[in-house]
Amino acid sequence: MRGHFLRAFLIPLFFAGVIACVPRAFAAEQVDALLAAASDAELQPLLAKLRDSHQESRAAWQFWIGTLGGKQVVATRTEGDPLNAVAATTLAIRLYAPKLIITFGSARAHDPLLRAGDLVLSGKFAAFDGIISSVVPLDGGSDSLSWQRLPHPLATLGEKETPEYFFPADVKALEVAKTLMTPRGKVVVGVLGSSAQTNREADRIAWIHAHWNTSCEDGESAHIAGCARLMGVPVIGLRVIDGTEGEAASRVMDFLEARK
Amino acid sequence: MKKFLIWLLMIAVAGAAEPVEILVQGAEKLEVDEIVAALEKPVKTNIGPFSFWTGQIGGHRVAVQLTGQALINCTTSTILAIEEFSPKLIVNQGTSGAQAPFLTLHDIIIGRRAVDYSAFITPVLQVGQGSVALDWTPQPQRLRDLKTGRLIEFPEGFAGDAGAMTVAMRTRNPMGRVFPGVIGSAHEVNLEMDRVRWTHRIFGMDVEEMESGHVAALAHAYGIRYIAFRVVSDAPYEGIPFYAQAARATGLFTVNFLRNMPAL
Repeated sequence: MRGHFLRAFLIPLFFAGVIACVPRAFAAEQVDALLAAASDAELQPLLAKLRDSHQESRAAWQFWIGTLGGKQVVATRTEGDPLNAVAATTLAIRLYAPKLIITFGSARAHDPLLRAGDLVLSGKFAAFDGIISSVVPLDGGSDSLSWQRLPHPLATLGEKETPEYFFPADVKALEVAKTLMTPRGKVVVGVLGSSAQTNREADRIAWIHAHWNTSCEDGESAHIAGCARLMGVPVIGLRVIDGTEGEAASRVMDFLEARK
Repeated sequence: MKKFLIWLLMIAVAGAAEPVEILVQGAEKLEVDEIVAALEKPVKTNIGPFSFWTGQIGGHRVAVQLTGQALINCTTSTILAIEEFSPKLIVNQGTSGAQAPFLTLHDIIIGRRAVDYSAFITPVLQVGQGSVALDWTPQPQRLRDLKTGRLIEFPEGFAGDAGAMTVAMRTRNPMGRVFPGVIGSAHEVNLEMDRVRWTHRIFGMDVEEMESGHVAALAHAYGIRYIAFRVVSDAPYEGIPFYAQAARATGLFTVNFLRNMPAL
């Protein structure tokens, strides 16, 4: 065993200096779930139900900590874009160590079979903002329908990268979510896509749907899932197509109740 | 693996490390190798999947960070680094594609500003009407000012720190020229010259890459001084394809910068 220890730890330590991984007491609060939504309007129905709550903030991001349905939770506002969403999620993971991340809200349909009010559960996530174009000379135009996908090269221990087109959703949470019902549509398992884009060109939406297999698009869900994957935290996404105010929050309450 | 990552994170969370003056970032190993090699008494740390090396360069206590490429990696790792090391200055550096015709391999752009150019809203077009990328309307990065509760838009991106700019402009690039300029970030590799010309015209971009505009936003949110350096590693106007070893130029330049930079 000593020989293995030497090879695994002391030799790298010799080359890299002293590795500063000395365990210390875990100081962060640990909550059952992080609830992440783009806006105050989407969060408010849940914040109104928080018990024993208090608010904390860091830089540009706010956190509401309290008890919801008997579970300790933290809620944060992602502002509906990838940067704010990943920043708030990273902070929440560091400060509150959630056991599960729930990204929820409204979304715009990519799958032509989806209708307003349908609830899309994250079978998986696609951050579809990565593109590489072909070499085209000046005055040759720009053809976004000929671009190729660029995967996200997620950082991996040992100074490596793992290119990923899709990020997984938590299997157990998805099984619970499948028991949900929605009052004005159907419940489907699909691919939640996100980017900092608002796509309204029908042909481009069809291209994204064909290449990334996206069911719908929003501004943050897949980026939150990428951050969760980096940090090893389970994640689930609940998105209502063209959802009304508070509609997705109601499904989150149903989910928390079903998860008990 | 998942439990191991959480364990590594929890170790880091338990108490922040000794603060550093300067956080130096690179997205890929080649982009940090020269800087790690210049560190005196390096100490390696991991937070989650991210590697850091702390030590001294030019009298500064420095943390060198491998951020990984693009928004998800660099945002996650920068937040962790800021929380862990409380830097006074962030230097984000690495390779980039030229967006301006006068730039060539090994030239370095000092970011007088860094901007995220990934966000847009398209016009409404029906089936069969195609997709017209040059008609898309850019959307600015927004950050909330918690004192007023307002979401502030940053259509020009974020300015580089004036003091760091001055020092950087007096620093020698051993492999090429140095210019002040605008650095654009998105998870994109644009090789259509009309779109390259469009991003140059719309955003003023001199080079494109995948991190500095995002890290600039985070530094602004925390009120931390920020500067970005980008070496040209591919120049589509000249038909020069990506040359990964160009990262050495910006690494050596950054070491020179750290040695020129007065105490913070």
